Amino acid sequence: MAVNEVGDVVVVKEDETFPCDLVLLSSSREDGTCYVTTASLDGESSHKTYYAVPDTKAFRTDREVESIHATIECEQPQPDLYKFVGRINVYKDTEEPVARPLGSENLLLRGATLKNTHHIYAVAIYTGMETKMALNYQSKSQKRSAVEKSMNAFLIVYLCILISKAVINTVLKYAWQWSPDRDEPWYNHRTENERQRPVVIRAFTDFLAFMVLFNYIIPVSMYVTVEMQKFLGSYFITWDEEMFDEELGEGAQVNTSDLNEELGQVEYVFTDKTGTLTENNMEFIECCVDGNVYVPHAICNGQILSAASSIDMIDSSPGGYRKEHEDLFFRALCLCHTVQVKEEETVDGIKRGFHQGRPTSFYISSSPDEVALVEGMKRLGYTYLRLKDNYMEILNKDDEIERFELLHVLNFDSVRRRMSVIVKSSSGEYLLFCKGADSSIFPRVVSGKVEQVKARVEQNAVEGLRTLCVAFRRLSPDDYQEACLLLTQAKLALQDREQRLAQAYDAIERDFVLLGATAVEDRLQEKAADTIESLHKAGMKVWVLTGDKMETAAATCYASKLFRRSTQILELTKKRTEEQSLHDVMFELSRTVLRQRSVSGLSVDCLDFGLIIDGATLTAVLKSGPEGNYREVFLEVSRNCSAVLCCRMAPLQKAQIVKLIKASKEHPITLAIGDGANDVSMILEAHVGIGIMGKEGRQAARNSDYAIPKFKHLKKMLLVHGHYYYIRIAELVQYFFYKNVCFIFPQFLFQFFCGFSQQPLYDTAYLTLYNISFTSLPILLYSLVEQHVSMDTLRRDPSLYKDITKNSLLRWPVFLYWTCLGVFDAVVFFFGAYFLFDNTTFTSNGQLMTTNTQMMFGNWTFGTLVFTVLVFTVTIKLALDTHHWTWINHFVIWGSLLFYVIFSLLWGGIIWPFLNYQRMYYVFMQMLSSGPAWLSIILLITISLLPDIIKKVLCRAMCPTPTERAQSNRPCLTVEPSSIFMLSQSSSRMSF
Amino acid sequence: MMASGYNAKEEDGHHSGAPGNGGAGAVKSKKPDNTAFKQQRLPAWQPILTAGTVLPAFFVIGLIFIPIGIGLFVTSNNIKEFEIDYTGIEASSPCYNCAQNYSWNSTSSCTCKVPFTLEQPFESNVFMYYGLSNFYQNHRRYVKSRDDSQLNGDLTSLKSPSKECDPYRTSDGLPIAPCGAIANSLFNDTLELYHLSNGTRTAVVLMKKGIAWWTDKHVKFRNPGGNDNLTLAFQGTSKPVNWKTPVFELDPNDPDNNGFINEDFIVWMRTAALPTFRKLYRIIQKKVDAPTLASGKYELEVSYNYPVRSFDGRKRVILSTISWMGGKNPFLGIAYITVGSVCFFLAVVLLIIHHKYDNRCSSADIPN
Repeated sequence: MAVNEVGDVVVVKEDETFPCDLVLLSSSREDGTCYVTTASLDGESSHKTYYAVPDTKAFRTDREVESIHATIECEQPQPDLYKFVGRINVYKDTEEPVARPLGSENLLLRGATLKNTHHIYAVAIYTGMETKMALNYQSKSQKRSAVEKSMNAFLIVYLCILISKAVINTVLKYAWQWSPDRDEPWYNHRTENERQRPVVIRAFTDFLAFMVLFNYIIPVSMYVTVEMQKFLGSYFITWDEEMFDEELGEGAQVNTSDLNEELGQVEYVFTDKTGTLTENNMEFIECCVDGNVYVPHAICNGQILSAASSIDMIDSSPGGYRKEHEDLFFRALCLCHTVQVKEEETVDGIKRGFHQGRPTSFYISSSPDEVALVEGMKRLGYTYLRLKDNYMEILNKDDEIERFELLHVLNFDSVRRRMSVIVKSSSGEYLLFCKGADSSIFPRVVSGKVEQVKARVEQNAVEGLRTLCVAFRRLSPDDYQEACLLLTQAKLALQDREQRLAQAYDAIERDFVLLGATAVEDRLQEKAADTIESLHKAGMKVWVLTGDKMETAAATCYASKLFRRSTQILELTKKRTEEQSLHDVMFELSRTVLRQRSVSGLSVDCLDFGLIIDGATLTAVLKSGPEGNYREVFLEVSRNCSAVLCCRMAPLQKAQIVKLIKASKEHPITLAIGDGANDVSMILEAHVGIGIMGKEGRQAARNSDYAIPKFKHLKKMLLVHGHYYYIRIAELVQYFFYKNVCFIFPQFLFQFFCGFSQQPLYDTAYLTLYNISFTSLPILLYSLVEQHVSMDTLRRDPSLYKDITKNSLLRWPVFLYWTCLGVFDAVVFFFGAYFLFDNTTFTSNGQLMTTNTQMMFGNWTFGTLVFTVLVFTVTIKLALDTHHWTWINHFVIWGSLLFYVIFSLLWGGIIWPFLNYQRMYYVFMQMLSSGPAWLSIILLITISLLPDIIKKVLCRAMCPTPTERAQSNRPCLTVEPSSIFMLSQSSSRMSF
Repeated sequence: MMASGYNAKEEDGHHSGAPGNGGAGAVKSKKPDNTAFKQQRLPAWQPILTAGTVLPAFFVIGLIFIPIGIGLFVTSNNIKEFEIDYTGIEASSPCYNCAQNYSWNSTSSCTCKVPFTLEQPFESNVFMYYGLSNFYQNHRRYVKSRDDSQLNGDLTSLKSPSKECDPYRTSDGLPIAPCGAIANSLFNDTLELYHLSNGTRTAVVLMKKGIAWWTDKHVKFRNPGGNDNLTLAFQGTSKPVNWKTPVFELDPNDPDNNGFINEDFIVWMRTAALPTFRKLYRIIQKKVDAPTLASGKYELEVSYNYPVRSFDGRKRVILSTISWMGGKNPFLGIAYITVGSVCFFLAVVLLIIHHKYDNRCSSADIPN
């Protein structure tokens, strides 16, 4: 598509993607609407309706559109996808221009696709990098794992070692060859060119030559291997059958393989409640009108239901007054929503349809609660049919169609936590229906059975149901006119529109008559409690961050065993801070926690704390007020709580909390898990972001590092996969440094015996192939398939996870141990060979070709001997570390040793015509023909491996870690009976 | 249905088959295969290093290593070795004069006689080595200063040796054969051994062949254009600067030991690993009836050509018998005994630890 400039009028046909942000002028549909799917923007595949400006919707052909005279004013580009404020002035002939408000319902976003609409005309208003999609790109930042960070730190240490080695050798070289007879003895002159070079340049080239000689100490191939390990290893997550969800037909997804090992390091888990802990499959449970409870009599997952279901009344039949309220209540729920009705043939999104003898229709809404409510109403006999020409049609219990004119929708927002509609009934009455959270309705109620409803609402909330209150207000025509004026004024405002709208809403939504309340259940996900319990046992702190109200959220927390009966709950809520000052509350809490800790001291699980904090208080805590900084106190308190519940959180606050914990002084590794668009910010902020492929679109899954179908899969993800990946990569990193120290340190020592002349100890082929082929595959394979403890043990005993927290396998002492081991081994290799060669007649027996002769060995045999011992030691060291020997391990470990031997035989067995030197010719064979060489190879390998074995055995015997205990408690050969069963089953299925 | 299709895939191994079962298949195809590898459930042997398992291994290592060590040590001790330093640094040394008056230009060689006494007779084959100290044959500049294709008889390289040979590549405009620093510094002392008994001075027969690697002599080193008429083959080349004779006169009497395939030359060309080294010089074949070298007085006649004083070097001659494990080498035997003993000791320590901690562990485990 051609480049668009701001102000261009664009025609978009069906199934085309919008090239830039557009304001809809007119549509091929008569009502001036168009349908759009934003699947590529936020993953929601449902069709959303956008509206054309009323004054331009009549211009439906090219020519007509050309004749529009209008100006558009709009705000500066900003990244919020769901906010747009603008104004259009349409000039008609000579009249005064008509000003119309523009909102997000008029704005078509770049990247979205036009659906079910033949074509539209629209005007470009943000283009290029100013589009909302482009502005949203920048937010994703690169995440790096703790392992990678320590890898880089180790690398810097090794770089320093490399440079200091080169410097030491250069200095020693010049000190050593001070006398010219050493520098240039008669048998070894320099060329004229070299002699004329100034000393400074010579010293510098010497330094560089040493750098080249020792550069193998920097494990360049480690980075390649780590990348390969991460990439290939991540397949085990996607392949995992246990993380496959039959219902969704999807398994776990890996969006980045960089963080595999970070899954084994998590200390804080931040989880969303709705859709993550719970299923987000809302089900209408009951409603209560003035304290009378109504329950739909047939509950079939909200899917299939007989149409004419009657109200199942618990109380006696209603009287006249009650009857009126009941009618109003059901109408309110049928009218006060933003649900759309979709005929099946036009919809390919989320299905929620049921047959009624008529064409199948679906209810679609961005909020599943609303759908559940409207469906619940349907089951109670009031069916919302459609919105047609601003008339909402309801099929009531008596199969009569009632029509209400929809005048205004006061949209839901998370600050007000309620929404309202103003309708005109067929009898000409103006009615305002409002539904919302209890806390936002009750203060505005003037009459109605507040007490009964309140009691019922609280009871439901404790049971973990999501409650909403319904209220109404009759408007006189005057009232209505006033409200209309307020709303249009606010809508037209260019500046502070949000604020003015809020003021207008506030003015209109008052003096309610309370009708009743509803309860919708959001069931806990399968095994959510078990998962949370395991995470707790694994030493992770679980925080629930939710926008829900405290009572509901707390009930869910109890149900999911986040809080136990024994948990002492600390509250840090608005209710409490209203009574006491924040300062007092904070310090009281910290005193409680600290006292408890000092008393209990040793017995850890004597009492654990749970903290509940709400969004408002959190804002106050994070704001560093004049009375001092509460952040530290809050962190201190929360650190001592095993579980924290944060309720009434805005999406941004979720990210703030994650950030706060991330920045606290221990720098813990955080994990955020969520399913909705509101969790994206926290998913992006946390070290590891996990998305649940839930019902609220795929935005979370798309922005996450890993996506899993259900919350329960988190357990295997962290406790099994994370644990494995961490120990695998930790060994990989340490081993790589170790094997390169072993490799290069003898070469460093050799310099002391060859006049610091940069003579390499090993042949070029060995230097090149050591990291590439002789020692690379065993460690790569180890890092892919190692299982130090069996999968079932890890799952059964989550506390093993504690063994690897805080990057325990890559801490400095461990790194130092490996490096020292490497240096020790290198010293053994070199001096072992040295003492064999030094001033003794270490020779081949010469049995190879002629009998009983002694042949002398040269420097290449020396190097080959060291190298052979090196390759064998390093490989066997890995073999000793391997706890899980599958046939592939055997194949690769013994195979690579065999490969080394075969390669050496071949490399030394032929005069290679393309080489200008034949230094390795028969060196390896001659070495193997010597008895002492064999004996010394065996001896040196044994000596090099001894300290590591002793260390391991002693540590295991004296102070075994839980992991080591778990290892000892298992039978030696484990063949999973279940897998055998499955294999046999599949083979039997094969037969037919 | 679909699952069976997938299993069929993995069982019979060809992946091309097993088409999806229509539309339902397309949705379900995301289900991962249930193979032991993909589910990380391959049958595996899971060994762990515990005191219990390592103990026997240590005992076995101890039991094997100590006898080997003792065997090596005894063998090494039975080897007779005799070493004479003939550098001539001290004034009392017979070669003092030769060492002092050395100059490269002198045409006549300086000869000195070093007398020595063997206390014990040397049985079996005796190997005669020369040893140099402080001679950096492993210096990088030195090691690379050779042309292997020239030494392999390549005619092109004979006339234009590799750049690596610099500054020993050409002399007087002619290519040097053999080129390079290694060849140039060929050890050129001549050592002869005389047995003094009853006033007579009998020369000990020294074998000069069979001292180089067979493969070096027959494959790696070759004369250009075959072994006959070396003078012609080396025409147009110059001798190395420090040599007294050209390469085709290294052993004029034996065409099989002349030119590049001269065994002294081949031995020298295998650069030593350390600055103090020995190289095999001659072999004294064992005699049927008498010891190879009977005890008594001997005289080493050296024609002193090789200067080492400038770099504080030393020159030695070593006479040594050999065993199945080569020459005298006490290190290996001692190392084996030490490691064997350490293993044995550790095994005992581990045994104690094993008993002590295992009991405690098991008693602690019972309540759990």
